[in-house]
Amino acid sequence: MSAAPVLEITGLTGGYSLNKPVLHDISLQVQPGEMVGLIGLNGAGKSTTMKHILGLMTPHKGGIAVQGRTRDNDSAGYHSALSFVPESPLLYEEMTVREHVEFTARAYGVNRADYEARSRRLSELFRMEDKMDSLSGHLSKGMKQKVMIMCAFVASPALYVIDEPFLGLDPLGIRSLLDFMLEIKQSGSSILLSSHILSTIENYCDRFIVLHQGRVIAEGSLADIGAAAGKPGLPLEQLFYELVQGGK
Amino acid sequence: MDLRKLQGERRSREAGKLLPYAGYIIQSGVAVVLLFILIAFSAWYTSVLKDVPAGVPIRWIMLAALLPAAVHSSFRTYLQPADAVFLLPQEHRMHEYFAPAWTRGTVWKGLRLLMALLILWPLYIRTEESPKSLLITAALLLGVKLLSAYGCWRELKMLSPAASAGYRLLRWAVGGLIIAAWLWQPFHKGLGFSMLLAAAYLAALAVPARHAVPWERLSAQEKVQSGRAQMLLGWFVEVPGRQQRVYSRRWLSRWGAELPWRRDSAYRYLLTKSFARGDILGIVLRLGLLALALEWWNRGSLVGAGIYLFFLFIVGVQLSALSKLHGDSFWLTVYPLPENSRSRSTVSFVFRAHLALALVLWLPFVAAAGSGMLPRALGTLAAGAALVLIVRARLGRKMRSSDDDDF
Repeated sequence: MSAAPVLEITGLTGGYSLNKPVLHDISLQVQPGEMVGLIGLNGAGKSTTMKHILGLMTPHKGGIAVQGRTRDNDSAGYHSALSFVPESPLLYEEMTVREHVEFTARAYGVNRADYEARSRRLSELFRMEDKMDSLSGHLSKGMKQKVMIMCAFVASPALYVIDEPFLGLDPLGIRSLLDFMLEIKQSGSSILLSSHILSTIENYCDRFIVLHQGRVIAEGSLADIGAAAGKPGLPLEQLFYELVQGGK
Repeated sequence: MDLRKLQGERRSREAGKLLPYAGYIIQSGVAVVLLFILIAFSAWYTSVLKDVPAGVPIRWIMLAALLPAAVHSSFRTYLQPADAVFLLPQEHRMHEYFAPAWTRGTVWKGLRLLMALLILWPLYIRTEESPKSLLITAALLLGVKLLSAYGCWRELKMLSPAASAGYRLLRWAVGGLIIAAWLWQPFHKGLGFSMLLAAAYLAALAVPARHAVPWERLSAQEKVQSGRAQMLLGWFVEVPGRQQRVYSRRWLSRWGAELPWRRDSAYRYLLTKSFARGDILGIVLRLGLLALALEWWNRGSLVGAGIYLFFLFIVGVQLSALSKLHGDSFWLTVYPLPENSRSRSTVSFVFRAHLALALVLWLPFVAAAGSGMLPRALGTLAAGAALVLIVRARLGRKMRSSDDDDF
């Protein structure tokens, strides 16, 4: 892959406490048009990695660049180039679904016509047309998650950071999300996706990064992961067990 | 499990969160201004009592002041959402947990009611042709208070939100009718009517189906109560992470849509929506209506100007509370909003709203301006404009220092 990476993390060591880092010397890249699955057990460091990417935590060592920009040299450009779907929906109770999408579009400087077209498309895709004027407090958990996804996608940045997006979604919602992720990948955007539902992401991600105890222990395509585990040809879930607990 | 002890511990913990702010409240300029206003009100009220003007609608004043104090009821249960899971097995014993909350809520509000009555009483006995006995009036009002507290508790337990809203209206109507009957009717007639109405209301309360413990509604209610306490505290000191109560207010749903489609107006959009659906708008509107009524009544005297400036100041304090919204919002960290967008948008929004209200609240003096009082009316407006500018400057300084702290 010769293109400049959309996301480049180099030697990242970080965590909540300086004395007790959660991440140890992590390096990874996400290329344009690539969907990368970040997988690991609870506490492996997936969410901490994402928080560092979002700028919510400061690395102890190492650096993070999005489209070649860092938060120090171009904070606005850095944040404009990425959007985020959190594991638990974070919504403003004072706003309706439509207003959340509009607020996000305004914040990202999305052209008004593009906002209207994308908003219409997303509300149809996630079957939220009837809920667009509902206050967020009146939505079910799955619907709140759909609002988070719609907000991230209306921004249309170069990189999507998506943390456990399937939690609370109904089967049709999961299918719509996966199909839409494929579509945006084909349009050239990149996705860093964290999920525990390995059988689902196995067929959608181009590459996988396996985090264990804050370190990258395997990386690459399904075949590369199989080779690293010494069990080529096995499904991702089985390979994951092999890597993190020796197949037990 | 000792539920009474659990409630007590939670109450102490909550009080412990507020206690550290006590010193700041005393130091804050707002507290000094309120104290000054209290002294000025006492002096004014004493002078009114010495020379009571003719034709004071005392029964209406008593009704307007005593009805909210007698009928408004609320309870701090300190219930948390997780209680719906962990305390559910104790549901049959939860009356032990709620009893102190019910007693404390009713006793404190009863004392507040008695204080309102004692303040009004000197004016009442000087203006009412056939005044009632203080003791019996106090007993009747405390009866209304107890009835309302019981009614409010029953409303919280009702299965249907529509029934709950309907019974809330009924509670206010019953309270209003009992107090009015007492003030307007002769002793026996008023008392008899009040007893009959209270009995009918109690019978009506038994009709709707209700939960044994309305877990979700009570924890939502607790969130609102806690938010109100924080808001009150926020008048004096910075309180982080305050959440406000949200109302749907469909009639205001288009407000904000007209803002320029620019990145630097994104926060303004969020703030407009938060104001349109939050509790600050309701408070400002109620204060505004009360100010207009009092100003109209005193439009020909300097007291009117004082009322105007007092309410404009209080409205400014309320609007400035918008600066505390979204202070720790996750999305404001992640979204690419222009630097200082939050502080700039907030100061500009509060200034415009405050200025618009300064003009609206001044309108009663326009009526007085015709009768040779134009210079005084214009002077009042100029003082109001100066107050708005002072509030703006103070808020700007506060938000700049908060931005520096964040940095």
